[in-house]
Amino acid sequence: MNAAPPVLDVANLWVGYPSYRSETVHALRGINLQVAAGEIVGLVGESGSGKTTLARAVMGLVPEPGAIERGQVLFAGRNLAALDDAARRAVLGRELVMVIPNPRAELNPVLTAGRQISNVVLHHLGVGRREADRIALDMLRAVRIPDPERRFAAYPHELSGGMAQRVVIAIALVCSPRLVISDDATSGLDVTVQSQVLELLQTMVREKGAAALFITRDLAITAHFCTRIAVIYAGEIVEIATTRSFFRRPRHPYSIMLLAAFSHNPALRARWTRSQDAAGDAAVAGCSFAARCVRCRPLCLTEPPSLRAEAADHAVRCHFPVDTAA
Amino acid sequence: MRLGAATAAAAPGVTSAPADRRRRGRLRFFLAVLRARPIFALGYAIVTLVVITGALAPVMVPYGPMVADPNVYLQPPGAGHILGTDGTGMDIFSRVLSAPRIDLTIAVLGTLLSATVGTAIGALAGYYEGQRTWRTALSTFVMRAADVLQAFPVFVFAIALVAVFGQSVRSIVLAIAFVNAPIYLRLMRSQVLSIRRLRYVEAAYIAGASDLGILARHVIPNAIAPVLAQLSVNVGWSVLLTAGLSFVGAGVVAPTPEWGSMIAMGFQNVVTGQWWPSVFPGIALGLTVFGFALVGASIEVLADPARRRVLSGTLG
Amino acid sequence: MSLLRYIGRRILFVVPQLLGIILVSFFLVKLIPGDPAVMMLGPTASQQSLDELRQKMGFTQSLPRQLLHYLHDVVRGDLGTSWQTTQPVTQDLFQRFPATLELISFGLLLAIAIGFPLGVAAARLKQGPVRKFADYYGLLAGAMPDFWLALVLIYIFYTKLNWSPPPLGRIDMAVVSPPTVTGSMVIDSLLAGDWDALSSSFGHLVLPVLTLGLINAGPILKMTQSTMERTLASDFVRYADMCGLPRRVVLRQAIRAALPSVVTIVSVLYGFLIGGAVLVEIVFSWGGAGQYAVQGVLNADINPVLGFVVFSAIVSLVIYLMVDLLYFALDPRTRT
Repeated sequence: MNAAPPVLDVANLWVGYPSYRSETVHALRGINLQVAAGEIVGLVGESGSGKTTLARAVMGLVPEPGAIERGQVLFAGRNLAALDDAARRAVLGRELVMVIPNPRAELNPVLTAGRQISNVVLHHLGVGRREADRIALDMLRAVRIPDPERRFAAYPHELSGGMAQRVVIAIALVCSPRLVISDDATSGLDVTVQSQVLELLQTMVREKGAAALFITRDLAITAHFCTRIAVIYAGEIVEIATTRSFFRRPRHPYSIMLLAAFSHNPALRARWTRSQDAAGDAAVAGCSFAARCVRCRPLCLTEPPSLRAEAADHAVRCHFPVDTAA
Repeated sequence: MRLGAATAAAAPGVTSAPADRRRRGRLRFFLAVLRARPIFALGYAIVTLVVITGALAPVMVPYGPMVADPNVYLQPPGAGHILGTDGTGMDIFSRVLSAPRIDLTIAVLGTLLSATVGTAIGALAGYYEGQRTWRTALSTFVMRAADVLQAFPVFVFAIALVAVFGQSVRSIVLAIAFVNAPIYLRLMRSQVLSIRRLRYVEAAYIAGASDLGILARHVIPNAIAPVLAQLSVNVGWSVLLTAGLSFVGAGVVAPTPEWGSMIAMGFQNVVTGQWWPSVFPGIALGLTVFGFALVGASIEVLADPARRRVLSGTLG
Repeated sequence: MSLLRYIGRRILFVVPQLLGIILVSFFLVKLIPGDPAVMMLGPTASQQSLDELRQKMGFTQSLPRQLLHYLHDVVRGDLGTSWQTTQPVTQDLFQRFPATLELISFGLLLAIAIGFPLGVAAARLKQGPVRKFADYYGLLAGAMPDFWLALVLIYIFYTKLNWSPPPLGRIDMAVVSPPTVTGSMVIDSLLAGDWDALSSSFGHLVLPVLTLGLINAGPILKMTQSTMERTLASDFVRYADMCGLPRRVVLRQAIRAALPSVVTIVSVLYGFLIGGAVLVEIVFSWGGAGQYAVQGVLNADINPVLGFVVFSAIVSLVIYLMVDLLYFALDPRTRT
């Protein structure tokens, strides 16, 4: 699709967490994902599916005691996990940035919002404090925070959730990064504020010519803001497609289950939802979704499916892809 | 009737096997912890050693711990008197070994007394806090009183208490109990305050259980863990306090073998170069407190599910 | 504005507490057996002179009256007279409190200098010799009796090496004390430019300060380490790492966030040591306030004990107020 090399190239990535007296838990199992410049890719999955681990792995910061077992992550051609600490810090916050959820807990409580933005400018762009402060204030204006001069001098606990989220976006975008990762960044906000913040993020990403990886539990968000969508389940990508193709014709039963969960039609929900208890934990050898799949067949319990291209812009990991014509 | 008999007969066989296995599992886990953190094992070893020494001192010591032989005063450590003799000619080794009898007795009794009283009052104060009755006023008063007690300079307060009750073992125990009680009071109150709001306590209340019944059956058992962890540390601390009281002459009186008063007796000798009458009891005292602190630290780790998990992660 | 109101409220809150402290200690001290009149006049005194003295000291009045009388005097700044020193207690305490405060202030400064960097280092390094050393140090310092450590230090540095002066007071008998300005011998000598007094008083200060510093570094170390560990694992430090701020900047932010709890433990130790340093004071014949109070208890000398308790309560109050002001400076969340 894109001729330019991808900003982010995740190739066959396995991440495992060793656990006491049992086997290693694999949080990610062979993830392949490319994000090209200008793209906004949505990564959708429920909690525990490996979304956050993927975000941390991309930054080269897999939390202890987890470790990358196989595969690699290349950011603009560099393997961040292999860099030393100082070299990685030069990339993080500058070229590769993270927009975090719940910013009021994650911003430093004893520094003003303005100081936290200008700190990043100071250390990444090598300008003086005065210049950094000026850039930071401009950035606060750019994220359309009301009364930016006052917010500049405000401490995190004096900001509302939406304003704090704008500060975090300002921190993320102030150095014109190449890739923005947003990890459930708006999940704590009111719905109205949420869409404002997301629109702002989308505009800013476009303006700065960056790429973005939107990690979320909310499929509805991806429909409006993403160019491509990847659905992750139990550490595997089960379906990946352009937004258009995905919503027109979802192929994986799990994707459809997620979509059905938003539906107002109870019959539709019931048709695609099967509780895990009813199925027990079967399918260790086969498809990881088999236990919850309403269309599970004998083959699914024995043979793991691979990610197959169903169309040029649409791949799905299922032995029996659903043939919806919606 | 027959049904009852059947379940009664079946019950021991059914329940005891897993209970037994669980107990054995716990023991094995405990041993694994000791292997992984040898310093905890050291703590248990020291405490056991001190307790055994105290118990068996009368048959272990080579000389009477209160028998002074003026012919051999201030003998340096060597043959005959392993740790030497003090200024009055008493054998230091025998006295150091006999001291836990009194030091540990005072510390354990004082700690247990303060824990019992402090825990009970703290539980009541926490349980009744925030309800608008006369009991609330009482519990507020108790907390303010604890504030006042804790604002006292601990050591001077303890000395004054011993002076009030008259210089005896009983007084020292009371003084230790008095200065330590507010610690347990606070600890228990904060625990009970958080547990009281939980659903199962409300459920018991709605079911018509009495206040004391709820406290005894539902609240205290779930709030007691940090108190237990505090106990061991506190015993060590009380040994230090006892020795300190004796050191200034407000505690155990010489010639009763007690580490603090032994250090005090050797004070002048140290300045003139005879270090042994003070140094050996000090080492014994420090080791004992160290041992209890380690046991306390291990209980703290084992009682906290999160830290136990981290620890078990490093065991594998 | 809000700061002044806060201080005012704080002081208002402390008044009943101070009253409670005086109340408790008054009755406690009254309960101590021993008749001061007998102690003052000796066992051979006649009944008549004993009665006269009791009358003069107000012991014939009822207890509540005595208490009211005492409270009335306290408000006017009169803490009574000590029969041991035959001087007003206020005057005695004004002489002795600076000695205690000098000792524990320098002792805690040393304790901070040892405990804080070690705690920060131990929190950063999960394994290795530094971490091991910190773990053992924390446990050992908490287990070691300070009066015993003082004796060991005296044995090594005075008896054996003869590096330090004999453990007798704050300055050599032969050296003239500097004029009192701050109450600290060392600082006063420095202000007076008196080098003899400075070297002598400094020499006397070294061992007791070393004792208190080594012992009290333990709790400071533990507190610093546990707070730093929590801070380093906290969300905002992780976020600062993600923003690629340099390692030293992140560490500085974490230390800054850990400061309030270190300030707290230092203030608690300070309050404790006002009375708790008495054992070290005795070993070094320091002549401090704690020693004065203990002598009072042991000799049924009531006024010094009460006076000491009142004084230390007030000093604690001042310290906690200072801590609150520090909080205001350190944590913007307390300002609103």
